[in-house]
Amino acid sequence: MKQILYSITLGLLVFIISYYWLDEPVKEARVLSSSDAAELRVEQTQTRGAPPPERDLLETEPINKDYEPAVVVEPDDQPGIIPERIEIPAIGVDAPVGKEGYTEEGGMAVPDSVTKVGWFEPGTKPGRKGNSVIAGHVDGRNGPAVFFDLKDLNAGDEIFVYGENGSKLTYTVQKVAAYPVSDAPLREIFGPTDQRALNLITCTGPYDREASGYTERLTVFTTLKDSRYAPS
Amino acid sequence: MKKLLSSLAAVVLIFGVFAPVAFADNHSGGDMAMVRVLHASPDAPAVDVYVDGNAVVEGAEFKAATDYMELPAGEHTIEVYAAGTMGEQDPVLSADATVEAGMAYTAAAIGNLDSIELKITQDETEASEGMAKVRVGHFIPGAPAVDVGPIGGDALFSGAEFPMVTDYSELEAGTYDLEVRTTDGTQLIDLSGTTIESGKVYSAFAVGTADSPDVLLLEDSSAMPSSMPETGFGGASQNSNTMAYAAILGVLAMGAGLVLFRKRSEA
Repeated sequence: MKQILYSITLGLLVFIISYYWLDEPVKEARVLSSSDAAELRVEQTQTRGAPPPERDLLETEPINKDYEPAVVVEPDDQPGIIPERIEIPAIGVDAPVGKEGYTEEGGMAVPDSVTKVGWFEPGTKPGRKGNSVIAGHVDGRNGPAVFFDLKDLNAGDEIFVYGENGSKLTYTVQKVAAYPVSDAPLREIFGPTDQRALNLITCTGPYDREASGYTERLTVFTTLKDSRYAPS
Repeated sequence: MKKLLSSLAAVVLIFGVFAPVAFADNHSGGDMAMVRVLHASPDAPAVDVYVDGNAVVEGAEFKAATDYMELPAGEHTIEVYAAGTMGEQDPVLSADATVEAGMAYTAAAIGNLDSIELKITQDETEASEGMAKVRVGHFIPGAPAVDVGPIGGDALFSGAEFPMVTDYSELEAGTYDLEVRTTDGTQLIDLSGTTIESGKVYSAFAVGTADSPDVLLLEDSSAMPSSMPETGFGGASQNSNTMAYAAILGVLAMGAGLVLFRKRSEA
């Protein structure tokens, strides 16, 4: 009798523990793919701090430079585009892009459609300096949606964004990362930057039926590689 | 009976270890402030900045501005050393500052080296929809009071004196031919072709000396939502699998337990 009781207790225990363990949403960012760009940037800041060769090394010790510089506004000669279509050959995405603004609560609005994606219009125009953001659904009520395969992107994959009259921007994936929904680095995704960046957002992680929402957000960080503007 | 008690104790112990992990609140960055550092002392050397004894900025030269760094809300000691001299020399500057959660600040080292001081201003992080927000800081020691406005036009900011930082003003987005001029109209700095965009927040800090003035135009913030978008309805979610996997593991353990305990009682 006792053996059975032990076994049931053990089984129950393993079930409860593994349930919580498997269901545990991440509390920290998970980087799914990354190029070395971030590391390179740090090195560059440091080497920039080395003394210029004409200075006497005996006289002045090299200054160790270590900080992230602020975004200083400089003239931007690229006009940027109003995005109309996005194409991601690596995962077979070819979708229309609409304009989205804020929700009533001040969050980012998304399209009602599961086949269309939304560009955050109050933010940066694709092609200009700053973070442009495009969000799309991972699934609808009954199955996968436009950005279902976004998690499969890898650093180096290309993304094409088309504007009116055939303008075409080419972006390269730098990093793919997942964040807990309430702890995402909004400033890194939407805030000021010296780069011409495009960040794609969709949902990921476990689905919380009580809150009817996913517990994590997937962000694909990309930077502009090439731009071709339609003659105006 | 003893065995039962000890296994019960084990159950309690295991729960004690796992429960806090399972039920812990989601900690977010809700109790953090943002602070950036600006080196605006024209004759001061490159500096290292320490907060509560920890190096946060190293080798910042005159006109260097850092991006915002997260700092827990509360009081902090900010010390500025000539680069690489921490532990050898006294700081050139030391100040206590209290920062509030959710707020952003600029800590600027200003004035000439013999009268260097730390000026802390609170920064805006939200622009109004469709408008830009701009403010001006006068960090040029020895320079007269200045106006900032379109060349030859009415001043947008007037009578800013060292070491004053104006309030933010809302401006229409666009490209402006601006100038920094003395209050009697002599141009100090030409800022022709300055483009400001809607949804963004800017700080224009005038730095340097009266003979060689310069403007550092920083982008404090840009249009940002308060939360991430809701990008899924759960129709393709794999959450139900969690329950199944856990159940399988549980049943396996139960079976293993049964075999193990039976063997032991047979022995």
